Parts: sequence; C-alpha cells; structure tokens
Amino acid sequence: MAAVDYLLHESAVGYAIFQVVHQADTIGNRLKEVQDAGQDLAKFGKMVKVVGFAPYRTAAEALENVNLVSEGVMSDYLRSELELNLPKPSKKKKIVLGVSDKTLAGSIKASFPGIECETGDTSEVCGDLLRGLRFHAGKLLVKLQEGDVDRAQLGLGHAYSRAKVKFSVQKNDNHIIQAIATLDHLDKAVNTFSMRVREWYGWHFPELVRIVSDNHTYAKLALAIGDKQTLTQDSLHDIAALVNDDGDVAQAVIDAARVSMGQAISDADMENVSAFANRVVKLAEYRKSLYQYLVDKMAIVAPNLATLIGEVVAARLISHAGSLTNLSKYPASTVQILGAEKALFRALKTKGNTPKYGLIYHSSFIGRAGAKNKGRISRFLANKCSIASRIDNFSEEPNTKFGEALRKQVEERLDFYATGTAPTKNEDAMRSAMDAVLGDIQIDDIPMTDAAPQSEKKEKKSKDKKDKDSKKDKKRRHSEVNGDEEAVEKKKKKKSKKESSSD
Amino acid sequence: MPPHQTQSGELRWELQFGKILFSPKNIQRPSTRNESLPTPSNSPTQPREWHSHPEADAAAETVEDEADFLEEEIVGDAEAFLEVVVIVGDEEDSQEEVDEVSTISLSYSREISRLQSSLSTRTRVADRSIRGQGDSRGGRGGRGAPRGGGGRGGGAKGGAKTIVEPHRHAGIFVARGKEDMLVTKNLSPGVSVYGEKRISVENSSGADDTVSKTEYRVWNPFRSKLAAGVLGGLDEIFIKPGAKVLYLGAASGTSVSHVADIVGPTGTVFAVEFSHRSGRDLINMATHRTNVIPIIEDARHPLKYRMLVSMVDVIFADVAQPDQARIVGLNAHLFLKVGGGVVVSIKANCIDSTAAPEAVFAREVTKLREERIKPLEQLTLEPFERDHAMVVGRYVRSTT
Repeated sequence: MAAVDYLLHESAVGYAIFQVVHQADTIGNRLKEVQDAGQDLAKFGKMVKVVGFAPYRTAAEALENVNLVSEGVMSDYLRSELELNLPKPSKKKKIVLGVSDKTLAGSIKASFPGIECETGDTSEVCGDLLRGLRFHAGKLLVKLQEGDVDRAQLGLGHAYSRAKVKFSVQKNDNHIIQAIATLDHLDKAVNTFSMRVREWYGWHFPELVRIVSDNHTYAKLALAIGDKQTLTQDSLHDIAALVNDDGDVAQAVIDAARVSMGQAISDADMENVSAFANRVVKLAEYRKSLYQYLVDKMAIVAPNLATLIGEVVAARLISHAGSLTNLSKYPASTVQILGAEKALFRALKTKGNTPKYGLIYHSSFIGRAGAKNKGRISRFLANKCSIASRIDNFSEEPNTKFGEALRKQVEERLDFYATGTAPTKNEDAMRSAMDAVLGDIQIDDIPMTDAAPQSEKKEKKSKDKKDKDSKKDKKRRHSEVNGDEEAVEKKKKKKSKKESSSD
Repeated sequence: MPPHQTQSGELRWELQFGKILFSPKNIQRPSTRNESLPTPSNSPTQPREWHSHPEADAAAETVEDEADFLEEEIVGDAEAFLEVVVIVGDEEDSQEEVDEVSTISLSYSREISRLQSSLSTRTRVADRSIRGQGDSRGGRGGRGAPRGGGGRGGGAKGGAKTIVEPHRHAGIFVARGKEDMLVTKNLSPGVSVYGEKRISVENSSGADDTVSKTEYRVWNPFRSKLAAGVLGGLDEIFIKPGAKVLYLGAASGTSVSHVADIVGPTGTVFAVEFSHRSGRDLINMATHRTNVIPIIEDARHPLKYRMLVSMVDVIFADVAQPDQARIVGLNAHLFLKVGGGVVVSIKANCIDSTAAPEAVFAREVTKLREERIKPLEQLTLEPFERDHAMVVGRYVRSTT
C-alpha cells in the first residue's frame, strides 16, 4: 500500500489540497492513542499542511461543483486546482492522492495519468486522514473565519435540496398517480351524488328510477324533464336522445309522467334540484375526460403495460410502486402480490398461505380462469407485467408491439388451461414482436438496403438516430447505456423463456 | 430547584416522572423502563390501573368488556354525569343496580363527549395533539369521538397554570399543569411546525421589570420516537444544546424541529431525507430554523452529501430500512466524531416481519457492534410504538 502524499478535501466553501507531512502508521492505526491524536488539532496540524485552497467564487459555482462532486465528476475548477497545486509526477514515482469518493477518484485518475488515488475504502489510513480534515478543516484553512463553513453549508444545503426536489425524473409518473387517485375519488363521489339526485328528484317523479336505472342517464333525464307536468308527447325525441334513442324507454317515461304519484314541486325547489343534477352530470362528464386523459398518458408512459392489463390496473400498479422505474425494478413475484401486502405479511407471520394476487386481480384475465388456475394465471400475468414494465421503462420509442404479444400469450395460456391447446412457444412470440418493432423502425426511419431485421447493430444505430431528433426529456442515462439496453431485452427474452418452461 | 435534584437518584426520579406524565392522577402504573415492563397493552385488566376514582372503577369494570376504548378521562366524565344519566335513564325506577346504570352511562358518555366536543372544540383539538395517534394501539381502538374527553378543560391550555421545569436532559423541558407534557423551547416563537400546541411563559428577569417571554412547543411522544425514548427514560441521548446532529430519516421535519430546538442556535442539525414529497415540507421547516440544514439525498450514499456535512457529535437514525445498521455505520465512519453518540430507532417489522421482535433487536445490536458502535442501552418504546426499540451507542473507532 502506497503512502498517501496529498489529500483532497471537498467542502461547502471550496476545494482544499493538503500535503501529508508526517506519514501515519498503518499498523497502529486502530490504537486508541492514534485515534485520539486525530482528534487533537495540535497533533493533527503537524501531520498535514495546506498547499492549496480554491474557494467557490459564487453561490451558483458552489452549487454546480457540489452537484458534480456528488455525482463523482471532476469539474474544471477542480482540475485547474489540482494542476496548480500538485507537483508534476516523475516517471519513477507516482503521486498518491487521497480522495473520499471512488468514482471521483476514477475521473481524476483518468485525466491525470501520473496520479494514483486512495480512498477511505482502500486504505484506512487515508480514511482517517480525511476524517481528520473534516474535523479540523475550518481551523486549518486560516483564510476562513469562524462560522464560514456553517453558513456555506446552510446555504448550499438549501440550494442543493431545492434543486433535488425541483428536478424530478418521473415527471409523467406523478401525473398518472394523481390521476388514478382522483379517478377513484370521483367514482365514489359521483355515485353518492347520483344517489342523492335519485332520492331528491324521486319525490317529484318516483317512477323514473324504475325505468332508467343508470345513474348518469337518470341525472341527465332529471335535468331535461324538470317539472314532469311540462312533459308532453312532443318531447319524445328529446327524451329519446338521452336514452340512446330507445323509443320504448322514452315513451315509458312520458307515460309514467302522466300518471305519476309524485308530489308537485315549486319552481324554486325545482331550480335547486336541477342545479344539483347539473353538477352531477358535469362531474360525471369530467370523470370521463379525466379517464381519457389517463388513457392518453398511459399510452405515452407505459404503452406495453397498459396494453397488457388495461390502463386502470396498469396505472394502479405504477401508483402503488411509486413510479414506473420502481415498478420495473420489482421482481415478478412482487408485482404479483402488489396491493396485498397485509395478507402477505399476515401469511408470513402465521406461516399460512401467501396471497395469490393483489392489484392484478382486477385485470380481466384472472376472473376468466377457473378456480384451480387462478393462481397459475396470476403468476404468469405477473411475469408478463414485469417484462412489459421493463420494456416501457427502458425503451425510448413507445410502442405497443410487445404489449400485444404479451397479451396474446396470456390469452393463449388461458386457452391452454381451458381446452389444452398448446400455446405459441415463447421464443417465437418474442421474436415476432421484436421483428415487428424493428420493422416499424425501418419503415419510418431510414431506408435500409438490407431488409433482414435481425442484426442488432442496425437497430442500435436507428435507435440512436431517433434519440437525437426526439425525446429530449428522456433520461440522459438511458441514451448512455443504449448498448446495454439490448442486452437487457435479450436477457428478458431468456428470462421469459425460462418462465414459460417452468410454467 | 427542579425536583430531580432533590431526589436521591436520577434514575428513580425518571421512573416516577414517567408515571406522573401519563397517569395524571398519580396512580400506580408500571414504569416504562425496559426491564420492568409487563407489556401493558397485552393484559386486559391493565386499563383499570389508570382509573383513580373508585366509582369510576366500578363503572369501568363492567364496561371494559364491551368497549375497550375507554380511557380514564371518559370514565371521569361518565362519573360526573352519572346523576344526570340516572335521571334520564330511569325516572320511574331509580333503584337500579349500579353496574346497570354504569353501562347506560357509557352510552351516554359517548353522547356527552360528543356534545362537549362541539362545545369546546378548541380544547379537544389541543388535547388530541398531545395524545396523538394513540388509537392504533391496544386499549385505545375505536372511533375518534370518545377520545380526549373534553370535560377536562384541557390539561394546560392557554391561560391555565403551568410551570415549566428543565428535564434531566439539557434542552428539554417539562410543562406541569393538570397534565404533564414534554416541551422544547421554540426557536422561532409564534410558529407551530405541525400544528402542535405552544405554551408561553413569562419570566421577569431579576430586579428590573423587563418581562421576557419564552415559548415552548409540546413534544408528542406518539409522534416522535425520540420523545418516546426520552419519556421511556434513556440515560443519555447525546443531543444537547450546542451539539451537531446528523439526523437520518428526517421525514417532514416534525421531530427535527424539536431536535433543532434542543441544540439551539449554537448547534446544527443535518437533516437527511430521501423522499422528495416529505423533503418539500422539510425544506419549508428549515427556512424558519437556521440551524437545520436540509439534505434531500439517500442516506445509503453518505459520500454524495459529504460536502454539506461536517463532523457531528451524534447520529440519530430513524430510517426503518432492513439495512439500517449498515447505513448508520457508513455515516458514522465518515462523519461521527470518535466517542460520539449513536441513537437508532429500530422498527422490528421493517427489518424482519417474521422473526420475534426481541431477536431482531438483538441482531441489529450485533450489527451495530460490528460497525464499531458500542451499545450502551436498549429500550422498547412500548406504550407509544409497537415493536420498536431505541438503541443508544457510542462510536468507538479504536479497537483497543
């Protein structure tokens, strides 16, 4: 282990470089005396010497540097500081610099070939020295005044945290989560309000409930009819328009109004009933538009998952996981029982049977399976959901090809349980989906001389191109690891193969 | 002179203190100390020990079986309204047996407490904020309405006489009124952080007639695990005026605000929280308290926020993660002074939901030992939190 020559100390006020004057002893490092010496400024002050200190000049610069340091990237400011203060390394002897973070150490080594780096992980001596610096830096850096570090930390802490909260990777996911929650509340509210309308308007026209049972239609009718005395044969068409052009129903309404046993109602009262009915109708319409919004949003964020199990269940899964990224990190077994945590933990505690399904129960597939196969289809569906969420999260171009293929696989599996028809082999299903995706890209992207869609390289190239002209808001990370992505997809293929064989 | 100095031993006083605080009528109640804790929530007869008045006790005995939400205040109310109930309930036959009356009185006491709630909403709301979320634990279930018992006139509400005394731990105070409460000195007077009650105390300073006002904020042990630990009788919490605290798992900053009160303007609290949603509230809280430095970052990667943190005297961790011992260790190796304190709140369910809580705590303590944290004491937070433990340790970096 090479002795540490220099130390880099990053703080809220700036970068400081210290030279290690007295090398610490490796062997007795954990002795109480040695540790105590590190706490003592008089003793520690003799071990290190300040060679350079570069304070941040502005708050903006400080924030930028702190962000870079936190990501393990060397800023230009740090580079110039290192160039200025470290001696030129000779060929024989490299300089050893102690750095806290190993990713930052990596980027320093990459741009300064003559420098070796030690971190707290690789050398305990280095870790202790850095601890000592953190302890005494405020005093060792004589330029600083008492309280400077604290003030800088406070300001920078606020700025850093604010920026973190402001910049959210999962912008779209949040809207989905809020939309599905709002939808749930709206459903409940529309239902209770509709009941109230029926109750209220029922005093005036009690027969209407029996003719029209649908809540929304009832509210609309109540609004259109108003006082039942005004209803004549002339309004047949208006009424029919509200009940899906069903002439019989409309006629029944008019007949019932004629012989109704409901109480007469004053204009003022009727006005209030109508106002309320109007609100309910509006609320129901708003619910529809919100649902449409959710469907549209899902088509952008998680098209494959939505195609596989439907928008609402997909949105619920995302909402339960917190974000699509989180959902894609879950194993399929977790996806399977997502939403049944209470039952799961109770089962784990009592060593009973764990639940078979959670939120995915609300997809139509499980209801269609026989009682014996519910658990099996749930497991199969969860596998497919997990794959779909990963494809959605890591692909740059949203399309539903995989979702459709996965959905078909689930259908076939259901069929297999019911009739025994052998399903398509997973490999074939995935290959055809992949071909469809690649075919799409080729058609609307670049004319290719070679039509064979198998070559992975071309796909990458075309994807990169797409990446450039669109989807700026996609996470940068993804475009960087574009190469990995195919590997991921390949792996997925393999994985699903395994699953189908085990099923 | 504060009472704890007149007592022979600090520990003894602490035991008594715990008793005083949560049984307002000075009845015998098992202390909340670890060793002598007979798990009050498990024994069905335990609530009886909370009642003082013999009549009320008689009433409660019959009542307990059918309704377990009963509290001492409610019984007090039932008793107070007993005559009324008798008149209302059986005008013709007043020779009813006592226990029958008392069962009736219960159903009325619900009505009454509801009535009172409408009369003195302010008081009740205040009361609830002290007692907090006690309803999830044994013996306190049921609906919200009967809780609190509005007839009490609200322990120490505005205008009522309260005396504030310093607690054994520096920076923490005890407000003694009808009901004793843990309080901390408000760093930004006039502002409540999360709707907690504030107590203002006028102190005339010496000869000149300048009257300075000090404001205290009530610290609810049902909401803050540290407060629960303090009430449970931790010997040492390391958090004291002037200390630098690294607070992992700061959440919305409710507990952090009290820690900030304790360390005062000369101390610093580095509050680390990962969630953006609660981080928002944390930042808002920190804008009013300049000794709190909010850090929205994952506590698993302390290197990411190393520029923002200096060496600290104590690490408080309430992260509820399976690997929390490791998280604490990582942070301690980087930021904790040699000999500094570690206070960890462990939720057994979050680490292993299948194992027995005691086994989980023991395992976590071993893990902390491996991280060179020497455990000093362990305390269950039983009356306040279920299956939680507070472990206090000292960071010993040297191995000899």
